[in-house]
Amino acid sequence: MPIGQYIPGDSLIHRLDPRVKIGATIVLSILSLKGGAFTGALISAFLLVLIPLSRLGVRHLARAFRPVLIFFALLFLVHLFFTDGQPIPPFPPWRVTVTYEGLYTGAVTTWQFVLLIWSASILTMTTMPTELVCGIERLLRPLKRIGVPSHDLAMMVSVALRFVPTFLEEIDRIKVAQMARGAVFGSGPLIRRTRAAISLLLPLVLRTVRRADDLVAAMEARGYRRGHRTYMKELTMGRADYVAMVVIILITGLHAIGA
Amino acid sequence: MIRAEDLIYRYDSRNDRILNGVSIEIKEGKRIGVIGPNGCGKTTFVRHLNGLLLPTAGDVWVDGMNTRDSVAVRKIRQRVGMVFQNPDNQIVGMSVEEDVSFGPGNLGLSPHEIRKRVAESLAMVGMERYARRPPHTLSNGEKQLVAIAGVLAMHPRHIIFDEPTTYLDPSARKRVLEVIAKLNRQGITIVHVTHDMDEIADADEICLLHEGRVALLDRPDAVFSRVEWLREIGLGIPRVTEMMWRLRQKGVNVRTDIFALEDACLELSALIRPQTG
Repeated sequence: MPIGQYIPGDSLIHRLDPRVKIGATIVLSILSLKGGAFTGALISAFLLVLIPLSRLGVRHLARAFRPVLIFFALLFLVHLFFTDGQPIPPFPPWRVTVTYEGLYTGAVTTWQFVLLIWSASILTMTTMPTELVCGIERLLRPLKRIGVPSHDLAMMVSVALRFVPTFLEEIDRIKVAQMARGAVFGSGPLIRRTRAAISLLLPLVLRTVRRADDLVAAMEARGYRRGHRTYMKELTMGRADYVAMVVIILITGLHAIGA
Repeated sequence: MIRAEDLIYRYDSRNDRILNGVSIEIKEGKRIGVIGPNGCGKTTFVRHLNGLLLPTAGDVWVDGMNTRDSVAVRKIRQRVGMVFQNPDNQIVGMSVEEDVSFGPGNLGLSPHEIRKRVAESLAMVGMERYARRPPHTLSNGEKQLVAIAGVLAMHPRHIIFDEPTTYLDPSARKRVLEVIAKLNRQGITIVHVTHDMDEIADADEICLLHEGRVALLDRPDAVFSRVEWLREIGLGIPRVTEMMWRLRQKGVNVRTDIFALEDACLELSALIRPQTG
């Protein structure tokens, strides 16, 4: 996943209320995209401070960027070559022109996306999936009045997440079983690879449908109904959470001033 | 008490009746084994007992409430818990404690009460140390214990076990059966569907379903004594009992109402060593 996986820990950031973290990530993402270089620098400084505060290794964070490096490179290059403005001298001999403006917009735009990934990674690395779902559910709860089924949505996401590792195991198991029956994965003519893929997908889909059926029965047997339910842990805001909210508001204010 | 009156069920009008008039009364605190040849409707039957399925005709009553009553079904599902065959496909939570909290959460209990019940239920099945673990790191036996804890957290009076040991290795099976016995001793009604006669040899009653009806409803020794007929319809009897029957057929004078290994040993040793004194 381009966004990092949860890294267990007990840092200040880990202990923040997930609602605050989700809200902060959303706000920072919007500000990153809307703002210019000043806002970008501001948010970068903030996120830099978060690294020691969250006790996340820089290595972990760096890993979050690996899948999107190509995207960043392309984004930068597109801006670099296709922005009008004052050309940088050595380049006109080639068919394309590189401009100072291009360099600037390329860098700023790419950095905006870096900030997006960065803040989202800090969110997912310091927040357990359970907490994330809980946070989303709490945030959506007021929308119940206008018909948004917050409990049901949270349940859906939660069950889906719970089964991800199970699915991965299942795929592995089916793959190995089919290989024992002579299927060949990963090489060969298109026909063979298609048949191999089907031999993997078809049982998987069938078993998943069966699984869903069983799960529904089990959930109903334990009293699940659409609508209101309670949870083992209710989120409560602490002092650190309010401080974090103030900081985010400050950043938003500074962005508005700088604009 | 759980009662089925002339329960008839067919999936839809194009299909045959799966249940063709099942009538049974299960008294509170009893342990009933439900057996029958494959496809006889055991699972279909027990799914009527908590209202997962509604009868095509006939009625099912749980503690005086009818399963057709859509308001009462909530309470019925709290009173009648169900543990299913596949350990994986019962667990919805991202951690053990989260899953066990699912039932109480559906009942709308306070967070404090939910936490209390989660701790109690996990302790009851011996899985307290696994509270924070994600389900995919558990063995099938452990998952099944978690499923049982999840049901216990709702404080049911009756629990249905639908072939709970199918996916389990022998030691996990033993553990689950021990938990079931413990729960029964505490007064919880147990309805235990199984293919394995040994598991229910010591039940209070055995209900044999055949061709959609209750073919036999009696104490284990009475049911297992019908060895030939059981074999005809494709069922076995506890291995120990079968052994005693075969010995008897060979002319050895032994009792055949024996279902436990220890009793067989006692009976046989009395034969081998003549009584002294």
